[in-house]
Amino acid sequence: MFNFKILLTSNIWSIIFRYYSLILISILLMSPLFWVITSSFRPTTEIFSFSNDPSWKMLFPTELTLDHYQGIVRPEFIRAIANSLFVALATVVLGVLVNAMAGFAFAVFNFRFKNILFILVLASFMMPFESIIIPLFVLIRALGWTNSFQALILPEVANGLVIFLFRQLFISIPREIYEAALVDGASWFQIFVRIAMPLSGPTIATSALMLFILQWDAFFWPLVVASAPEYTVIQVAIIRNMTLEQSNWGIMFASTTAAVLIAAIPFLFLQRYYVKTIVESGIK
Amino acid sequence: MKIHTSTVFLFLFPAMLGLAVFRLAPVLIAIVGGFFSQTIRGDTIFVGMLNYTNLFSDDGFWNSLKVTILFNAILNPIQIFLAFILAMLVLKPSPGISVLRTTYVLPMTVAASITATIWNILLNPTLGPVNGILREIGIGTQPFFTSENQALASFIAIATWKGTGYWMLFLLAGLIVIPKDVYEAAAIDGATGWKRFMWITFPLMKRPLLYVLVADTAINFLFFTPVYVISNGGPNGSTSVLMFEAYQAAFVYLDHGRSLAISTIVLLIVMSIAALQFRLMRINKAI
Repeated sequence: MFNFKILLTSNIWSIIFRYYSLILISILLMSPLFWVITSSFRPTTEIFSFSNDPSWKMLFPTELTLDHYQGIVRPEFIRAIANSLFVALATVVLGVLVNAMAGFAFAVFNFRFKNILFILVLASFMMPFESIIIPLFVLIRALGWTNSFQALILPEVANGLVIFLFRQLFISIPREIYEAALVDGASWFQIFVRIAMPLSGPTIATSALMLFILQWDAFFWPLVVASAPEYTVIQVAIIRNMTLEQSNWGIMFASTTAAVLIAAIPFLFLQRYYVKTIVESGIK
Repeated sequence: MKIHTSTVFLFLFPAMLGLAVFRLAPVLIAIVGGFFSQTIRGDTIFVGMLNYTNLFSDDGFWNSLKVTILFNAILNPIQIFLAFILAMLVLKPSPGISVLRTTYVLPMTVAASITATIWNILLNPTLGPVNGILREIGIGTQPFFTSENQALASFIAIATWKGTGYWMLFLLAGLIVIPKDVYEAAAIDGATGWKRFMWITFPLMKRPLLYVLVADTAINFLFFTPVYVISNGGPNGSTSVLMFEAYQAAFVYLDHGRSLAISTIVLLIVMSIAALQFRLMRINKAI
């Protein structure tokens, strides 16, 4: 609910200044996306005639059409969207499971080399993926995996940051809960599935969102490792189409709008967990 | 409580295998591969430091190192400064604030390749809306990505658009955990406004700020996709960042030795930054 009491107790000018800045920044940041989305519904002639003409017509179309969306319903785009969805969802399912299990081990078990392995985890999340793309390509080529789904999926499954987030969560659950279950005869895997995972909703949501967006938005790695048409992902397909049909802005706007929305919609639903998880993990 | 080694192994193995094969092994490949080169016949031969001496005597490499450092030196302070202001502005719960906050974070979900495509059209010299507006308000049209002097600045602008909201989240997380009574105590002592910021908020935000600075630098050092999509390193090498140089060596000139040597240098820089970050986080007792 809106808390109107806050409005009454603060200085009116500071409130006006604050909202003025907040709304102005918001408009500045959103207008490029707004322009892309509205342009995707414009007839081709209108896209060009108002793109450079500053008036309300630049942002608001006078005529609407779905032509460009019909234009992207063609085999190569459908294929690319299906490929990206498959890669992203497979990474989410495998990644959440594998990283949550590792996070659980780091939080609950004591074992040899724990510190060294945890340093590997931390080092891997401080080292952006782009920094190893070329040597990773050399490795994948040696394995004979170029142009395959495993080359797109497997390198992104184990994720240091996701392991870290789960570890921070599981360490906050009282050990007594696990020990009571052990006394009742539960195995560690049952404890993980039936007790630990059900308590980690926000962390699962945050990790799933991170991994989904990571893969849906991936461009550099798919570009080098999976260039064959059967394995082309959506971001590579959009850029390739741009270079082939430079003048066809309609198709570009429609495909871009679709790609932006598929990443943005799950984000809009899950973003409240995102801040919560970051705050509670103690990364800052 | 006795835990079987096999249980620990089962929980850890999949993730540790993934990290070892897809993170650790590539680092070793980059280091070792930097000492090898391929002959015209396709044989791989040991060349010692040759790839490195070639790099260090190559103006193209020095230029790309300079471009990458300049890019970071300007972009990172801008991103962090703006992210801090945004975090302060959205901190206090007020009507509509969560909707506004969402609009700041939304650009981070837009793929780097799409960000590049959109901004390439927005900043197009003849057809782009930005130049339409600049012409109308009397500033005049700008060449942006087509000019040697403006291309890097244009990349800094689009990276700011995409990244600022993401870093805002981490700074916001830092601001949220500052206890309210610290501010109340300060108010009793008469510290308000600017004084309150300088003496309380800023000192308590040093660690979140350092974390963001280090993480932001690691990411921006590897800036690649928009350069590939928009400028191909040009005009005249003015946007040829290190990762683009490494990409070209590997996939255009098919010189894997050179490319892995550049990768090693990039890794060395990023790992030094990561080591710094690790120290900071240990101080922070997050571990």
